[in-house]
Amino acid sequence: MRMKKRAKKIESRPAKIIKGIISCLLVLYTFISIYLIGMTILNSFKTKSELINNTMGWPSSFTLDNFREVIFEDHFLRNLLNSVILVTVSVLCLCIVASMLGYALAHYEFKGKALLESYFLLGLMFPIQLGILPLFIMLTRMNLNNTLWGLVMIYTANLSFSTLLFTNFFKALPKSVMESARIDGARDFQVYLRIVLPISKPVISTVALISFVQIWNDFFMPLVFLTKTGVKTLTLGIYSYSANFLANWNKIFAAITIALIPIIIIYFLFSEQIVEGLTGGAVKG
Amino acid sequence: MKKKKRKNRSYIGFIAPGFIMYTVFMMVPLAFAFYYSVFDWSGIGPKTFVGFGNFIRLFTNERVSGTFFNALGNNFKYLLCVLLIITPIQIFFAYMLHIKIRFHKYIRFMLFLPYVISTSIVGFFAMILFDPNVGVLNKILTALFGKDAQQAWLGDPDMVFKIFVCVIIWQCIGSGMMIFFANMQEIPSEIVEASVIDGCGEWKRFWHVVLPMLTSSLTTNITLSVIYAMTMFDLPYILVGPQGGATNKLDFINMVFYRYAFGGTYFGETSIGFGSAISVVMFVIILSLTIVTKKLLKKIEY
Repeated sequence: MRMKKRAKKIESRPAKIIKGIISCLLVLYTFISIYLIGMTILNSFKTKSELINNTMGWPSSFTLDNFREVIFEDHFLRNLLNSVILVTVSVLCLCIVASMLGYALAHYEFKGKALLESYFLLGLMFPIQLGILPLFIMLTRMNLNNTLWGLVMIYTANLSFSTLLFTNFFKALPKSVMESARIDGARDFQVYLRIVLPISKPVISTVALISFVQIWNDFFMPLVFLTKTGVKTLTLGIYSYSANFLANWNKIFAAITIALIPIIIIYFLFSEQIVEGLTGGAVKG
Repeated sequence: MKKKKRKNRSYIGFIAPGFIMYTVFMMVPLAFAFYYSVFDWSGIGPKTFVGFGNFIRLFTNERVSGTFFNALGNNFKYLLCVLLIITPIQIFFAYMLHIKIRFHKYIRFMLFLPYVISTSIVGFFAMILFDPNVGVLNKILTALFGKDAQQAWLGDPDMVFKIFVCVIIWQCIGSGMMIFFANMQEIPSEIVEASVIDGCGEWKRFWHVVLPMLTSSLTTNITLSVIYAMTMFDLPYILVGPQGGATNKLDFINMVFYRYAFGGTYFGETSIGFGSAISVVMFVIILSLTIVTKKLLKKIEY
């Protein structure tokens, strides 16, 4: 902090002006996001006829017809529900499986541990897309194609990054806490459940947030694995509107508003944590 | 002694679920992509062993290889854009945030925001801006310069790639930027302080003090970008459809793969073997590019 103050004293006048200009330009640039999101939300309240002539301005009257139409007349509610189920179950499974894995990799010594650790990191380098065709055949044979369960399996299996975050966190924990519990006679699983999990709330929420964002927004996996109307997710629902947006011009704004609001609320509440998890795992890994 | 024995058993229970899931749904499919790539197989019926036949067809068959190399070229063109345009912008923005320009907290919050927005929504935002009929940009151009100023935007083969890169910049700049930013925060303050005492200006300090310390985040970012560039799919698919748009300017290998692997009903041909061959090529490219990146950046590191 002291250093920063001194740095400011030395700073020359032109440097200050340039910095001011850059920050103005960046602020202007951020208006693009505000405009796009704001316009989408405003447009979702406009009537069908108003939207045709007035796509850019303030609505002359507010109506909820678009939302009603999207939710009650189309499959959108189903899509929303599918996304909620998919994300909740996947994040839960991922957190359980990856935290156990991370705990074992951080706190046990055994033969071949280093090998196992690098084995689990392979998934960071070779994305799941590369094996998607055999995966597709496999899920079809297991009758999991076109089910949310199939995707839950895939998202849970894609655990490299989460495991890395958990391992890094557990490695930083003092071993003495766990050792003392073990001496008291607690079994390994109880140590994990009663002692490790409660103190690892920060990392659990980080992993949950990051995987929430990724799964909620995923497009490719649902596109490949969920082709029936009843199982499609939110991103696919939005895509089917926007692929034919002239016919759905009034509905799409309402649909996007519904999809945007939860994610924006989460971002407002937890942006620091999302960023931290993302960069923490990346820089240390 | 007894304690040690118990220890040895219990870690298996923690590892098993993850190990099984990861192996069955991640690694086995990857291995099977290699296996399928040497067969001619439509997914049903018998497999015929063709050796390197799929690869030879991919590289030499005129109709197929034209599409494939066009797509691969686009992947590399995009990767080049990442290295020459996107990464420098990310480093620059990260540095601006690092030296705490005015409104830096707000700017950081807003620059990262598109990262949490789904690509299907980003694709729609791009349409709102760039659609030739209803897009905002054409409306503005018409209002300012009349009807002649209108552009085809995404329909224009010369512009579609540039627009695509702009959309990517808007959507994806945040994550890499924050990785650089986190790295800058970790630079020991003594080094920065020393440079301040030496009378080093902001610009010089960036070049000679900050930039050389960024090798770890540079390696991470470039590796992530290589993987992202080689598996590019969502945004071009949403922007211009599965065929890669106007004269295939936005066709990428993952989209070619998708058409052969899953597009049977739309494109007349489903070939598991051939699709897997494309996956294997993607695998080899990703592997070699990451190795090259690591080797190159190790050399700069000191």
